[in-house]
Amino acid sequence: MASIQLGEGEKTFIIHGICKDDLRSDGRTCLSYRNFELECGVVSNTSGSARLKLSNTQVLVGVKAEMGPPNPLNPSRGGIEFFVDFSANASPKFAGRGGDELAAEISNMLGLVYKNKKMLDYKSLCVIAGQCVWTLYADIVVLECGGNLLDAIALAVKAALYNTRIPLVTVHKDMDGTEDIDVSSNPHDFVTLDTKNLPVLVTVTTVGSGHIVDATLEEEACSMACIVAAVNKEGAIDGMVKKGSGSLTIDSIYKMLTSAKQIGKDLNKSLDDFLSKKGSDMSSKGFLT
Amino acid sequence: MPTDTKRIQGPDASQSTFLYKKRANTVQPALLEEGKRQDGRSPLEIRPIFLKAGAVSQAKGSCYMEMKNTKVICAVYGPREVPRRDGFVINGQLRCEFKFATFASEVRHGHLTSHTEKDLALQVQQALEPAVCLHKIPKSQVDIFITVLENDGSVLSAAITCASIAVANAGIEMYDLVIGSSLRQTGETLLLDPTAFDETAESESTDDTQAIVTVGFLPSLKQVSCSVQQGQLQCEDSIKALQQCIDVCERYYQVVYECLKKSVKKLKSPVESPMDEAPAS
Amino acid sequence: MAIFITTPRKRHVCDEFTEPQRLVTPGATITADSDFMRGHGTYMEEDELIASVAGVVEKVNKLISVRPLKTRYNGEVGDVIVGRIQEVGQKRWKVDVNSRLNAILMLSAVNLPGGELRKRSAEDELKMRQYLTEGDLISAEVQSVFSDGALSLHTRSLKYGKLGQGIMVRVSPSLIKRRKTHFHNLTCGASVILGNNGYVWITRTPTEEEEAPDGGFVQNLQPVSDEDRRVLARLRNCILGLADHRMMLYDTSVIYTYAASEDYPVADLLNPDIMKDVILKVRQQLNQEAT
Repeated sequence: MASIQLGEGEKTFIIHGICKDDLRSDGRTCLSYRNFELECGVVSNTSGSARLKLSNTQVLVGVKAEMGPPNPLNPSRGGIEFFVDFSANASPKFAGRGGDELAAEISNMLGLVYKNKKMLDYKSLCVIAGQCVWTLYADIVVLECGGNLLDAIALAVKAALYNTRIPLVTVHKDMDGTEDIDVSSNPHDFVTLDTKNLPVLVTVTTVGSGHIVDATLEEEACSMACIVAAVNKEGAIDGMVKKGSGSLTIDSIYKMLTSAKQIGKDLNKSLDDFLSKKGSDMSSKGFLT
Repeated sequence: MPTDTKRIQGPDASQSTFLYKKRANTVQPALLEEGKRQDGRSPLEIRPIFLKAGAVSQAKGSCYMEMKNTKVICAVYGPREVPRRDGFVINGQLRCEFKFATFASEVRHGHLTSHTEKDLALQVQQALEPAVCLHKIPKSQVDIFITVLENDGSVLSAAITCASIAVANAGIEMYDLVIGSSLRQTGETLLLDPTAFDETAESESTDDTQAIVTVGFLPSLKQVSCSVQQGQLQCEDSIKALQQCIDVCERYYQVVYECLKKSVKKLKSPVESPMDEAPAS
Repeated sequence: MAIFITTPRKRHVCDEFTEPQRLVTPGATITADSDFMRGHGTYMEEDELIASVAGVVEKVNKLISVRPLKTRYNGEVGDVIVGRIQEVGQKRWKVDVNSRLNAILMLSAVNLPGGELRKRSAEDELKMRQYLTEGDLISAEVQSVFSDGALSLHTRSLKYGKLGQGIMVRVSPSLIKRRKTHFHNLTCGASVILGNNGYVWITRTPTEEEEAPDGGFVQNLQPVSDEDRRVLARLRNCILGLADHRMMLYDTSVIYTYAASEDYPVADLLNPDIMKDVILKVRQQLNQEAT
């Protein structure tokens, strides 16, 4: 996903630093993340939202829960749909349809991971089997595009889902057998989702003979391939895709997956700690800080 | 929403009878019965493959592949000059288009390119890029068109193998061939080369780990160019599954090699023999 | 390995912030006195001088101009810039210099490898890409400004040319203070080029044994040592910290920031709180010097 070009000297500098000295251009080691800034409950018209800033990458996720007919292949399960939009604010080349390909790639990755039936309790999202289920529409807007977009988006999605409040719904059976849905209008009557099994995405980028996480745009420009792994809090790999136009040996894949597993566990833990304290915030303080 | 003007569509609310059939069947057939799968294979048995290079006469290179009921055809055009709108690019480019024929799966596909097709196209492109000598074709692009005629599982791996044979058949320089294979893991059992039923069926115990792994492998360079895992696996199991897929790729390699050898021999001796092509299984 | 997730931090105004003398917005009248000469960022309407950009009013004798707070780089003759090659064209390169238009580097304005002095032939034109290709970084000087505002660059001295191993940092051009020289060899072992256009190049100072600047024809691709790398990374974080806090960038401020940051490990400088402390110290030091 790199969109900048580097000169030969710059690339050599970055590659040597990563492969030999475990020291990147900004002083981090190969397997360390930059600081995240996360805020939940920022958009009032959504069922749940989150804004995440990772240095110069900024994403905003809004989750809307809507009732509707289910997918005919899964009549008693709810679902989740992802849509990624690259704001033209991020870069002029995203104006119009410019960012569509990249957006489709990211939505597909998220769809692949969340397709697993054990991710969310989809059965609990069912109101009337075969007729009416809750579908969660997770819409992601990329406000600023620095490096490491997938990790930021996955974290923000998990935070937004934690923050989501679905109105309480009761189903009455009328005397003639028809079912009547009653949506509670009390804003304090809501159901939250159980997000403890949700994974985060860890992008491990291979640079030369070494690998790094949380790559900046410059580092992405020096790399030929990366592995995006979805890791949950126990360290299980919920999905894995190799991206990029390079190839990898099975040994490097093994090393990268092992790093991803450890980092995924740490990332999940930090996120869960943060969410348990601040995840249920609904009052928006505005974006100007 | 652009409508399909080439076909006469049924009413919007029409559904496939397959969906009614599925709902009526409350008892799902089991994934494994007495150690055999629905189609009679054992878990570690792969389907025989039939390959023919040069199946599309008008294309620069092409390949038709059959794995029992999964039928994929691929045509390669190029290298062609790429328009200079996007500035100078020192290396060649691969452009891949993936299409399911509308009658390919049990549920009818729409005619517009869906998300899945776009995603699969990107996967095949990224699987082939490491293998093609793109620096030998500067400012040009190679177009790869993949059509799935019948979908009975393992579509991505079949497409990868088919596309790489087509590119080789087109005479484009490559570092190595790319062979694809996939497997489904349920609990401790590995099912190699899953059919559509194997891929979607649920296993009896819902606590088992379930995952489908697809791999694109370069057999001479021993490198992986495509790796997709859908479903949950522990890190070590993930690597074991990858290794199993790689072993299957090596088994396929011999067949692929024979197929390409045959197509080259045919080119060298243009007199057609009256006998049919024997399936190379 | 710790990963930090925090709530967004509030930016607050630093205690020692002094309001600049005259801030104007577009359309605000600066003066009705017709005695003054009109400079950049102003226009005349009915004998009144009105600002056309948002910024600080600057008065030099009889010349009034408005310096905008944030602007694209506007080049002047003699500026040192660091730029990235965008396109290779007929007898010229197009260079991105963070300005409205790409700057032009003519083939006749570069030194040929080997330092030959001869007329450029058709063969040189074909081999342009071998010397400078898309993505390369160069340091150059502005030779002239075209009528549409595009800059014409030259690298006719050996201290300019293609840049080798190092780190490039982008800051706003208004933060680079105009000085006599923009090439600084710092005592910590690094060299810094503060391009007027806001692109800053950090590299390690070539030692005595290595050649003096040679126009960048031969690239040194030897791995840089670990300590040098740390110095460069620290400098990068310092410069970005200064830019974040809108401090002017010149050799003194960079050296002070580097010295103040040595109390912390390099990676910690990415933490905004730590950077704030460092910049506070530097600000105090600079204020002391000014008084």
